[in-house]
Amino acid sequence: MNAQLLTGKNVIVQGITGSHGSFHTRAMIAAGTNIVAGTTPGKAGQNVDGIPVYNSIVDVQNDMSVDTSVIFVPAAFAKSAILEAIDAKVPLIVCITEGIPIHDMLQIRQHLEKSSSQLIGPNCPGILMPGIIKLGIIPAAMGLAGTVGIVSRSGTLTYEAMAGLTEYGVGQKYVIGIGGDPINGTGFTDCLELFQNDPDVDRIVLIGEIGGTTEYQAADYIAEHVSKPVYAYVTGHHAPEGVQLGHAGAILGSQQESAKAKTDYLRRNGARTSTSITSLLTAVTSDKK
Amino acid sequence: MKLLEYEGKKILQTSNIAVPKSFVAGESADFLPAVLKSQVPVGGRGKAGGVVIVKDDAEYTAEREKISHLEIKGYTPKTILAEQPLDIDRELYLSLVIDKATASTELMAHKRGGVEVEDNAAEDFLKLTLETGSADAAGQQLADYYDLPDKTFALQDLVEKLYVLFNQQDMTLLEINPLVLTKTGELVAADAKITLDDAAQFRHPDWSFELDPVETNFVTLDETGNVATIANGAGLAMATVDAVADNGMKPANFLDIGGGANEASVLAAFKRITEYSHVKVIIINIFAGITRCDEVARAIIAARAQLDDLPPLAIRLAGTNYEQAAKLLQQQNIPIHANLDQALAAAKELT
Repeated sequence: MNAQLLTGKNVIVQGITGSHGSFHTRAMIAAGTNIVAGTTPGKAGQNVDGIPVYNSIVDVQNDMSVDTSVIFVPAAFAKSAILEAIDAKVPLIVCITEGIPIHDMLQIRQHLEKSSSQLIGPNCPGILMPGIIKLGIIPAAMGLAGTVGIVSRSGTLTYEAMAGLTEYGVGQKYVIGIGGDPINGTGFTDCLELFQNDPDVDRIVLIGEIGGTTEYQAADYIAEHVSKPVYAYVTGHHAPEGVQLGHAGAILGSQQESAKAKTDYLRRNGARTSTSITSLLTAVTSDKK
Repeated sequence: MKLLEYEGKKILQTSNIAVPKSFVAGESADFLPAVLKSQVPVGGRGKAGGVVIVKDDAEYTAEREKISHLEIKGYTPKTILAEQPLDIDRELYLSLVIDKATASTELMAHKRGGVEVEDNAAEDFLKLTLETGSADAAGQQLADYYDLPDKTFALQDLVEKLYVLFNQQDMTLLEINPLVLTKTGELVAADAKITLDDAAQFRHPDWSFELDPVETNFVTLDETGNVATIANGAGLAMATVDAVADNGMKPANFLDIGGGANEASVLAAFKRITEYSHVKVIIINIFAGITRCDEVARAIIAARAQLDDLPPLAIRLAGTNYEQAAKLLQQQNIPIHANLDQALAAAKELT
C-alpha cells in the first residue's frame, strides 16, 4: 500500500443519504476530505449539503473520476456496495459497515484478489491523516498532525491510542483502523509497509487482539522489513477461552490465538510490547524524539 | 449460533442427504429398537450416558425419563432424538469449515471418524479447498482417500449438496461425525454439528432454533472481582479489562455496550453488575465516535437515579460532544475523568 492511494483526490460516499452516511459526510468534509459525490440507489438528483447524489458509481464516473469510496450502507446491502466499487475499479474502498455475513466476505475476497482495488475494513473506523484527510469515522478533533503511524484491529482502541498520544503532544501521520472481522481487506502488513516506506513516519503503533493469527504475519514482517521502532499491544489478556467477546473476530480459539502468545511472538520479532493501553502510551511517548 | 443434532439433520434432509430414520421421543415410541440421543450442544454425550439403545417399551420409557434429567456439561436436554440403529461397516469423518486465514471453504476428512477423531494426528486429515465447480474433483479425491472407489458418485453428490447447503444456509461449520458406511453400502450422516453465522439472520427469516444465540457483549470473567467494567467497542472493553488487571485490581466482567448506549442499556448493565457482590467500583470507559458522549451521560444519570445500591462510578468519557457530557455530569456532582489513567487511579482508591 502506498501513501498516494490514501490521499486520492475525489472521494465519494456510498450510502450518503442514510443517517450515518450524511452525518459523517459532514464530519469528513470538516476534516479536509474532498467529497465530490455520493450514491444511494434510486436517489439520483438529490443532494446532501450540496453534494450531488447519484444512483450508482458508474453514473458518478460519467461526470468525474473516483479515487476513493467510503461505504456506510447497511450490512444487508454491503456486499453489493463493495462489489460495485470493485467492479467500478475504485482504487481505495473503505467500508465502515459492521455485521456483514462471513460468506459475503468470502465472495468479496475472491473478487478483490482479481482486482487492483484496496479494501479497508469492513467493520472498521477507517483512516485519519490529521490535518490532511479523513476517510471514515475517526474523531478528527482528537488527532494531531505528526510522525507516528497507528494501525489497529479495534475501532475504539484506535481512538484511544490516538487521543492518548495527542494528549502527550505526540502527533500522528496515519491513524488506520483495519477492522475486527475474521475476514477483511487490508491487514497489518500492508500498513506496516506503508509506515516503513514513508520517511515522515518515525514510530509505529500496532494494536492487535485475541483471535485469528494476523499478528503473527505482522511480527514476521517486522522482523524482515521494518527498521523503525514498533510499539505493540495485543488486547484481551484476560479473555476466557472459547468465549466470544463482542465482534466475531474476538474469540480465543486456541492458545496460539491468545494475547500472551501473540505478545511473546511480537516481542521475539523485535516489537516493544505492552500489556495494557496505558503502558503502551507511556512507552511510545517516553521515547519522545 | 449452534444447532442441535436433530435441527442440523433436518437441514441435511432438505437436500436429501441420508440420515437415520428418526422421531422426537415423546410418550410412546414410533418404532423399536431405537437409539435415544440427548440433544445437548456439547461433545462426549455417549460417555456421559446421553446415548442409549432401547429394545422394548419398558426400556424406552425408563431410559427416556433418565436421559431427560441427565445433565451433561451444564446442559439438560429439552429434546430427545430417537433413531433407528445403523448396521455399521465403517465410521468416517467429514466436515466443511471456513478457513479465516486463507478466506476459503475447506473440506476436512478422516478415515477413522467417531468419538476418538480428535486423537488422530492433524497431518493425517485430508484437506481440500472447495469452490464453485470443484465438488466433483473433491468427491473423487475423497473416494480415493477413504478407499471407497465404488462410492465415487455418491461422494461427489454428497460434497456438492453439502457445499451448496453450507453457502445457502450461511454455515460456518458443518461436521458429520461419523459419516457411516452401512453394511448395505449406504452413506448415512449419523450425527450433525452445524454452526450458523448470526450476522446472516436478516436473510433467513425462517431461522428459529432451540438454543438462543450466545451472548457476546456481556461476559462474566470473575464473580468475585472487585471492579466492574463498561466500555464501548470490543477492543476498548477488552483493553479496559486488561488495564484494570494491570493496575492490580480484579475485573469482574467484560461489557461492550456498543454504539447505542441509552438509558435502557445502561440501566440493564448496572442491574447485572449489582449482582456481583464484591464489586466496589464501576469503571465506565467510553470513547465516542458514532456514539455521542452527552447521550451516554444522560443515560448514566437517569439509570443511576433508579438504583439505590449502585457502587460508585469512575467515569471516563472522550470524543464526540464531550463538553456537553462533562457539564451534565458536573451538575449532578458525578466526577468525570479526562483519561483512563485517572479513572483507574480513582477506582484503585475505592478497592
